[in-house]
Formats: sequence, C-alpha cells, structure tokens
Amino acid sequence: MRRWGYRYVVTPSLERVDLLALGLDDEERRRLFKLVDQDGSVLGLVSERTVPVARLVAGKLRGAPLPLRLCYAGPVLSNHPEGFSRQRETQQVGAELIGASGPLADSEVIALAVQALAAAGLRRYQVDVGHSGFFMGLLEGLKLPETAKAAVKAQLVARDFVGLEAILNETPLRREEHQLLLRFPALRGGPEILNAAAGLVRNRRSDAALSELRRVHELLALHGLEAQVSLDLGAIRDFDYYTGITFEGYGPDLGRPLAQGGRYDTLLARFGRPAPATGFVIHLDRVSEALQRAGIQPDPVFLEAAIAWSQGGLEIALRLGQALRGFGLRTVVSTEPRALATARSWATGLGARGYCHVNEGGQIAVGLDRGWHRLSLAEAVAQLAERSAR
Amino acid sequence: MITLAIPTGTLLDDSLGLLRRAGVVDLNRAELGRKLLVEKAGLRCVLVRPADVAAYVNHGAADLGIAGKDQLWEAPGGHYELVDLGFGACSMIVAVPEASPLAAPETWPPTLRLATKYPLATQRFMQRLGQVVDLVHLHGSIELAPLLGLVHGIVDLTQTGRTLRENKLRVVAMVGRSSARLIANQASLKTRSETVQGLVTRLRQSVDA
Repeated sequence: MRRWGYRYVVTPSLERVDLLALGLDDEERRRLFKLVDQDGSVLGLVSERTVPVARLVAGKLRGAPLPLRLCYAGPVLSNHPEGFSRQRETQQVGAELIGASGPLADSEVIALAVQALAAAGLRRYQVDVGHSGFFMGLLEGLKLPETAKAAVKAQLVARDFVGLEAILNETPLRREEHQLLLRFPALRGGPEILNAAAGLVRNRRSDAALSELRRVHELLALHGLEAQVSLDLGAIRDFDYYTGITFEGYGPDLGRPLAQGGRYDTLLARFGRPAPATGFVIHLDRVSEALQRAGIQPDPVFLEAAIAWSQGGLEIALRLGQALRGFGLRTVVSTEPRALATARSWATGLGARGYCHVNEGGQIAVGLDRGWHRLSLAEAVAQLAERSAR
Repeated sequence: MITLAIPTGTLLDDSLGLLRRAGVVDLNRAELGRKLLVEKAGLRCVLVRPADVAAYVNHGAADLGIAGKDQLWEAPGGHYELVDLGFGACSMIVAVPEASPLAAPETWPPTLRLATKYPLATQRFMQRLGQVVDLVHLHGSIELAPLLGLVHGIVDLTQTGRTLRENKLRVVAMVGRSSARLIANQASLKTRSETVQGLVTRLRQSVDA
C-alpha cells in the first residue's frame, strides 16, 4: 500500500461510543465491547477503523491538503457471533482515499484492494463491484409511501426475499415493478449487464450509477484487472452509509467476503470537514483461512542473508552485515564463531535465502548452488543482493 | 460441486419430494438417512438437524439449504432467504393454560415469564410490543412448563393446535407464520452464481407450478 503512496497511520483502539456509532448499524453498535470512563462516558473498543481515520483527517490532519491517501493495520474487537471459534479479536488492514471523487478514485482503491489480495498470496479470488445509487434510484422511482420504502430496504438488507415479496404483495405496485425489485439482485456479470439494467430502469440516479459503473469497469481494465472484476448490481450493503461505488472481494471456498469497501461521501461532513471518500478493509483472518484451504503456504522467507564467521573474521563479517542492510536486505550476523563446515546448516536452519562465511584471514566465501565461492566484499554484497531479489 | 443441506425431521419428506419434482435429484430417504452425505446428479446432499441448516449455510459449508422460517429467526444473517417453498406451514404462537386469566397483551403482567425453544424470535416480538419478558430456554416438551407453574405461558410452533388442546393450552398471540424456505450462502451466490442460480430457478418454478 505504501508503494501506492498510502501513508500508514495509527488510530486509538479505544474511542467514544457515540463517535464509533457513526460508521456502524444498530446491530454492530450493540456488538461493540464497551467500557465506562472515569467521568461516566461510555467508551468502545474499535470494531473498524474507517471512522477513526475520518476523525483523524478532520482533526489532527485538518491542515493537510486533500486528497489524502492513508492506510492502517491492526486488531479490531467485536462481539460478533460469526466465525467458528467466536473469535472476538480479528486483524484488519485497510486504506482510505479521502478528498477525491469520481471513477478514477474509485478504481484506484479497487485496484489497490485487488493488489493487496494478490500480495497476500491468493491465487483465485474475484471482486464484485456495485453501486448503491442504482438501487436508491430504483426505490425513489417507485410510488410508495416512505414506510413501505423503509420496509423494502430492511428486507433487502436482511437478504430476505420471501419477506420482500410479502411486503410487495401489499403494495399497489405494478407486476413489472414487483419483478424488478425481486430480480435485480441477480443482475451480475460483465459490462453487458449494464445495458440490460438500463433497459429495466429509467431514472436519473440509476442511470448515473450505471454510467459510473461503466467507467470504473473501463478503468479497472486499464489497471489490467478485467479478469478479476465482475459487476454486481444486486450488491446489498448498508444503504445509509455507502453513497456510490461499493465492492466486495471473495475467495473460492470461503462463505464470507475477504475484502469490503466503497464510497462514503457523507461521513467526513459529520466531523466538520466535508469531503468525498472511498476505501476498503481486508479481513486478514479470512484471508489466512482462504490461504489454508487453498493449501498455500505464506512465503516463509524472512531472512535474506546469514553471515557466519570464524575467530578473526568478525570485523569483516560486521562490515559485510552493515553493507547488506544498507541495501535493504534482512541480515543476521552470527553471535558466536562458527566453522565453515557448520555454516550452511546454521543458515538454512534460520531460513535464510543466502549465506556466507568469513574466515580467520577475513576472506569471504559465499554459499552458492555448487559449494562455496571466494569473493571480495563488493562481489559478496552483489551476489547476496541478487539472490534475495530472485 | 454444489452442497445442499437438507433438514431431518418433519421437513425431510417434503424436501425430497420437491427436489424430485423439480428434477434436481432423486434421493431415497433411507439412503440419505444412512449415509448423511450423498453425492448424486452433480450435487452433494447433506442431512443435518433442522436447527443446524442455517449454521452450515451461514459458514459456507453448504451453498444452499432448506430450513423452516422458525429456525431462521434464531440464526439471522449470513444467508439469503430466496424462496418460500410452501410446505411445513405452521404458526409461532404465545399460549397460556386454559385456566389462566391472561388473554390479549393488555392483560399480561409487567414481566411475563415464558418458556420457549425460540429465544431470539420471542425477544424480538416482545420488544415490538414493549413487553418485558423473563425467558426460560427449554429444548423439548415446552407444553409442560406452564402446567407445572414454571412460567405464565409458552412460545412454540403449532400446526393444527392439537398438542395445545391436549395440554389444555390456549393461544393468546401470534408471533409469526413459518414455512420451509430455500436459503443460500452469500458468497456462493456470487462465486458460483450460474450453478446456484440455476438450481434456485428450478426449485422456484417447481414451487410456483
């Protein structure tokens, strides 16, 4: 994420509950772990970090020019019954692009999320992109009392299509409108569904949503992500929070999304710094479960170079270590003298990708595919750096 | 391969009948009961307890499942409820002993003590009424609890009202109507949309026919 220019920020784990509530629905609010502060105010342990980041942007970073690209990582707590072990603490990584609107910003954030899933080692995954405006326009276009609209929304959020149909049967809607509301969640696929959807719905808000989706899809193709991205007009998310493009990332055999994100243009205004914003979160515990199910071992290489030395070779060994670290290689220099004969097993035991030995005379031998090669300091650095880059 | 969770108990025969009529898979009750997991016609069918169907689907262990609405009230979230399959119709009701002075909600005491197998559905219903309840979570023979003076009444399912009558219980409120529903895992609908949607459509057509 840093390679995409997203600055790493750290936000508190404990916040006031009324503040956290801005980004949560009623159910999620109930599931917060809460504590009472000395003055009697109720604090909550963060269950997501978008709201704390938004507050940071409107508070400490008030002076920083927009757009801001920020990312975060850390544990979140929620008394949520999902997951097998009812794990309360899970790990999340996320990014927020604040102060930029439009398809370019949306597609940048989606592309970053896809790259992050790929960097985690996942080989098969897909991202479904939707737009909250499509459904909102659809709903506005219907001649229904507000209470009926709220009921329709509630059933959709609960994903209860049987209940939705029961509600629709009591409304004076025409049969086509009925069918539209019941079937639009199945509108999913490539850009061709946008034409199909445009034929079904005629209102300005839905049309705008469709053309934005079309543009985002084109831009994601430019990012080279056409194969991983589908369009999903039936994406059902919190309609009061998301204001535009939304997306979810799925792994092949996991029942829940690995990544979730979207545009939330109204949140920042609640902190007194109105700004468009979009971002995403990756549920690391689910990613790790998906990796396990796919039989993918996370890359175990931690060390890039290990340096062993015999009595008298310490000075050169330390200089070599400094040089390698200067090139950004994770390097360990042995804390005790070690003979050439045992250097290889020591280094592989540490999991080092490359290794070398410095003898009594300060001569360096680098372990290569076929035995040891005596090299100068500069050559040794070059060899080990090249090995680590492979 | 798609995995379908089928409930044991009263919904089993109707579920197998529907799958056969819709031309999805022809399963034999005895075979499924013996093996619990049968692979047939490109479908993996698992037989699980009615209360567990939603758990299998919510966690993605099954792509689709057949479950009574009464069970879904107790296991919200994580799944799409797609089709009312029509069979297994019953009502969730509040009942009190025939001799009890309690009738409509206005006559209930400030704290109503109830026994039920369905604590979530009961809580939600009573909250809407503004009624405070003291729940005793039981797992069977709920009808006994008020007769022994443990509670004022019960929240339970009834199909014909016979069990209630036999135990001298009288219905005072309706919590909701239940029937069998087809549910789907949220990710399966996205990641295997063609096969899952195809199956859903066939079942829906068979129900509507």
